[in-house]
Amino acid sequence: MYRELILRLAWSDFKLRYKNSALGFFWSLLEPLLMLVILYIVFSNLMRIQVEHYQLFLLLGIILWNFLDRGTSMSIWGIVGKPSLVQKVYFPRDILVLSTCITALMMTALEFTVFITFMAIFRVMPEISIVYFPILFIFEFLIIVGLSAALSALNVYFRDVQFIWRLIVQVGFFATPILYPITIFPENVRWIVMLNPMAQILTLTRDCTLYGIPPEPLNLTYIALSTLFVLLLGYFIFDRLEPKFAEAI
Amino acid sequence: MVIEVEHLWKSFQIPHERRTTLFENIVGMIRPNHYETYTVLKDISFEVDEGECIGIIGDNGSGKSTLLKIIANILRPTKGNVRITGKMTPFLELGVGFQSDLTVQENVGVYAAIMGISKREIKNSIDEVIDFAGLTNFRDTKLKNLSSGMQVRLAFSTAIQTDPDVLLVDEVLAVGDKEFQQKCFETFSKYKREGVTILLVSHDLGAVRRFCDKTLLLRNGEKEIFSDTNSVIDEYIYRPDEARDPPTGKSDTRWGNKDIEITDVKFIDKNKKYNDNFISSDPLTVRIFYESHEKINSPVFGIIFYYQDTYCYGTTTEFKGCDTGLVYGRGYVDFIVEKLPLIAGEFEVTVAVASSDYKTQYDWHNRLYSFNVHNQMRDLGIFSVDGSWMVVQQ
Repeated sequence: MYRELILRLAWSDFKLRYKNSALGFFWSLLEPLLMLVILYIVFSNLMRIQVEHYQLFLLLGIILWNFLDRGTSMSIWGIVGKPSLVQKVYFPRDILVLSTCITALMMTALEFTVFITFMAIFRVMPEISIVYFPILFIFEFLIIVGLSAALSALNVYFRDVQFIWRLIVQVGFFATPILYPITIFPENVRWIVMLNPMAQILTLTRDCTLYGIPPEPLNLTYIALSTLFVLLLGYFIFDRLEPKFAEAI
Repeated sequence: MVIEVEHLWKSFQIPHERRTTLFENIVGMIRPNHYETYTVLKDISFEVDEGECIGIIGDNGSGKSTLLKIIANILRPTKGNVRITGKMTPFLELGVGFQSDLTVQENVGVYAAIMGISKREIKNSIDEVIDFAGLTNFRDTKLKNLSSGMQVRLAFSTAIQTDPDVLLVDEVLAVGDKEFQQKCFETFSKYKREGVTILLVSHDLGAVRRFCDKTLLLRNGEKEIFSDTNSVIDEYIYRPDEARDPPTGKSDTRWGNKDIEITDVKFIDKNKKYNDNFISSDPLTVRIFYESHEKINSPVFGIIFYYQDTYCYGTTTEFKGCDTGLVYGRGYVDFIVEKLPLIAGEFEVTVAVASSDYKTQYDWHNRLYSFNVHNQMRDLGIFSVDGSWMVVQQ
């Protein structure tokens, strides 16, 4: 019933982000590419990280992490940034969060066109294990929705949640195997890094997309359970705080 | 029963210092914050049947808008329940979610979705909505390039595509020019004919009287009365007023030798009660109390009505052929209007008393008194001319 509203809001928000610059789409792609070039130069030549298809490895990591970063950072403003939609009309308020996450999804989809181009340029053919890609991607999306629900609701009451979350995202960028493979850690501490579901999703996505390795069922189960946990916790917090949105905003 | 409101309470907690950051909250744990609790709605209960049109009236701050927002599910009650059957659409503000950087066409699509109108339900296509708003040539214009009047028209013609069972309206009619308000009324009348249940919050008592079957009067968050519209509006206007300032005796507004002193002036309504609020066409009596310190033969009492700075009407006992006779001691003079020909606004009154040849002013109270007139007709202007229409075809 609300599907149309979610999509309309997401699509109009997406268009608005690029509306006033003819090269809008181009600019949005430039950011990850620039990051890719810098990080590639630094890590491949100076730090001498030895990974097969390091450009693609890096680009996929950046795109997937950007998705989380962008989805949550935009959603923090999903409620606070739209007071009239909260105070003057009523529809279930998680629609605002969902539509923002879908806007982020559209932007990420755009970045994937670059990734596909790169794969073609470097002549990396995906193998049958690529079928796991959409599953992992959906899990990431649901984690973003869960985080966004909690963050957007908390930000209504505590406006410094946005700053705290920026710090967490910054730390996360380095604590998650984006620039480096998980194998740089000694065997006995890897499991600690891999407790982070994003570390799992990134590693497994690369394995199935670039190296033809399907994910282990155990890892998939862990991702599924942690996604469910984040989603439920996020919605629990959102539902608790939602009744007073219109007063507190 | 389409709407059921049961023992509804709503209070807002307003902190003396508002904490919006986590830091302030942590620091604040050491010294507790003081909250002021304002109870805006107190134990409101009422029921609305299908197809009824209900007006909600009351002074500013009486809780009308809060009540409407709770029924719209935007605010949640502190205690009590609201039950609504069917699809409900609130018109609390027109053009919610309009994006100035999107085109007219795109905005119609988004706004329709926000108002809960699905693609199938849009009775007319988006093109027809735009045509109805008279913006055919502006389809692909960005909204920010339209005048605010055009934006309101666009919002309105989109919003009325909705097909609700219950419609909540909050002062939407207050925006826009007369022509637009007329259009609003035609639309709401159409909804009413189609059997839509309507709740209308308004200060425009004339509109409420024309439009609503029953009316709820709120006073300080309490349900004063919920009954048929005419009796509720009478109750609202003719209720005794507790606090009204007595006239101040400033020297430049009062002069005369006070041989006869005007001690007070009161307005009396159709219920024979002192009042400062009247409905047009109702009876009004101005009672002038005097105290005469001398024996004076046939003094002349006069009265003048002002609207803003316009001298509307003046008359005296002498003009009307009323001989006051020998006046001594206390008494009063009534100026009786059987059918008040004023339409709406605040009218100021001058009262005076002078000698029979008008040469000596005993007491003159210049524009010291005032009363309000509320409209219930559709006539416009300050005063009404008692006329009727006749059509002859030749």
